[in-house]
Amino acid sequence: MKMNSKTLRILVAAAIIIVVAIGFVTNLGIGTMSAPGVWDISILCPLGALGTMLASKTMVPRAVISLVIVVLLIIVFARAFCGWMCPVPLVQRLRGLFSKKQAKAARTSDADGNGAAGPDADAQPEAPAKPLTAAEREALSASCGTSGAQCSSCAKRRGAALDARHFVLGGALVSTFAFGFPVFCLVCPIGLTFATVLLVINLFAHGDVTWSLIVVPALLAVEVLAFRKWCHKLCPLSAFMSLVAKANRTFVPTIDNAKCLETSKSAACGLCGRACDEGIDPRHPQLSEASWSECTKCRACVDACPANAITMPLLPKKRLGKPESPAASVDSETEAAKP
Amino acid sequence: MKNDETHTDSPDAPAERAEGKTRIGMTRRTLCLGVGGAAVMLGLGGLKYAGSQSIIRPPGGQDEERLVSACIRCEKCYEICPRDVIAPAHIESGVLNMRTPTFDFSSNWCDWCTEENGGQPLCVKACPTEALKLPDGATAEGTIIGKAVINTDWCLAYKLIGCRFCYDACPYDAMQLDENDRPAVLTDRCNGCGACESVCVSLQNGSISEGATARAIVVHPLDEAEG
Repeated sequence: MKMNSKTLRILVAAAIIIVVAIGFVTNLGIGTMSAPGVWDISILCPLGALGTMLASKTMVPRAVISLVIVVLLIIVFARAFCGWMCPVPLVQRLRGLFSKKQAKAARTSDADGNGAAGPDADAQPEAPAKPLTAAEREALSASCGTSGAQCSSCAKRRGAALDARHFVLGGALVSTFAFGFPVFCLVCPIGLTFATVLLVINLFAHGDVTWSLIVVPALLAVEVLAFRKWCHKLCPLSAFMSLVAKANRTFVPTIDNAKCLETSKSAACGLCGRACDEGIDPRHPQLSEASWSECTKCRACVDACPANAITMPLLPKKRLGKPESPAASVDSETEAAKP
Repeated sequence: MKNDETHTDSPDAPAERAEGKTRIGMTRRTLCLGVGGAAVMLGLGGLKYAGSQSIIRPPGGQDEERLVSACIRCEKCYEICPRDVIAPAHIESGVLNMRTPTFDFSSNWCDWCTEENGGQPLCVKACPTEALKLPDGATAEGTIIGKAVINTDWCLAYKLIGCRFCYDACPYDAMQLDENDRPAVLTDRCNGCGACESVCVSLQNGSISEGATARAIVVHPLDEAEG
């Protein structure tokens, strides 16, 4: 039995924190997520690289190189950083520790909300094998291209148009340029997470007592625990990645129509769409809450599929004019997003 | 101004407006959140004028304006320092300085990685954003990190105990002893390397130097030491 990718993701994020902590107590220069690397080689956080150049109004060769590498990585892996490496989702799990029952209830209602992609998803959430009615089938096959008028879901779809995150990104960059220091770095929850780890290490290792020990974790808690939707609604790094990830064509969840219950047996399933934390419905991308550029490559849909019909191939498979293949919809989506 | 740009850039979609959305195709709530977030970012920029204490910086960080503008608080310099004298500054030094590099000379001092890297500071080499950057031909002697200042109330030698650890430790002959063997700093020769501070034992002898909150010889930032 393969390890659940959710567990795997938690382990990867935790392992990164441990490796960074090892970096703190050794002199290997492993760096934090702001500049991971070894010795004097490091790759900069894209926002840090942009920020440092905007603030100091100078070209920093290492920052430019980092930026190019990061952009290429995002094109290949989309927002995989968010799904696999970022410590923030891990920090957000702490909330579940404190209020187990409430959090669980909230999570299931969340999942329902996110998963309510098609009209059938709400009506029959627990009946995966029930056949679709003709009306439902028609509703599911509706897409922006065929329905004539512009449908509302396109405008709402996260990642297809600008949203709050992009305002934060823009505000951070303008502020950085105007005031001359990387403003977002001051409050970046990723940086604050590792800062907290370091403060705790230094508290025990050197008896380093400071108000930072309270201020840093408190700021982190306000950001990612109070704003539950930090990643989706506010994080400028997520905004940057989703902008670049519009060019992503690799590792896109692809459904084998011969295996998928909905296409092969005309059953109402929708489990993949409900499994997606980002609100993407791989089966009906045109009904998704988020566009493909939001995909964190978390493999939740792959795990959720009862028929094992979903794979994430390196390159998009060539489909013979199938309208619902994800790769095709990515194309139409990016075109729709262009002004 | 950024927000206005997005307004004009976005395609005008009448169908969306009909559904109670704003002109740029997002719900009012999203717009408020976005504008609020952007405003917070701009407000945070104002922290620059909140008043930060001046603190001593690792080699290459003497241009404070440059360091603050380029440092992304990645802690790389802290990690790479072979003598573990670089420490991230705390909030007590000012909000803007929080997590930027400063020195902690409590157990060691900075000799520009003479043994470890032939006199080229590893922190400067490792800094990915060039926040720490030495001018061409910079030397340890000529780069003033700060100036050592003796607190004569706390210094054991000023109680005529004959302690001269700092005098012996100074690698730049920047200290002298008076006729009673009390040390004094020759400020024109001191570069703030921290060797004196790292060996000062005044705090371990609290019964003698009562009320001391720091070592009797401490490297202060240039403006503080002169002022």
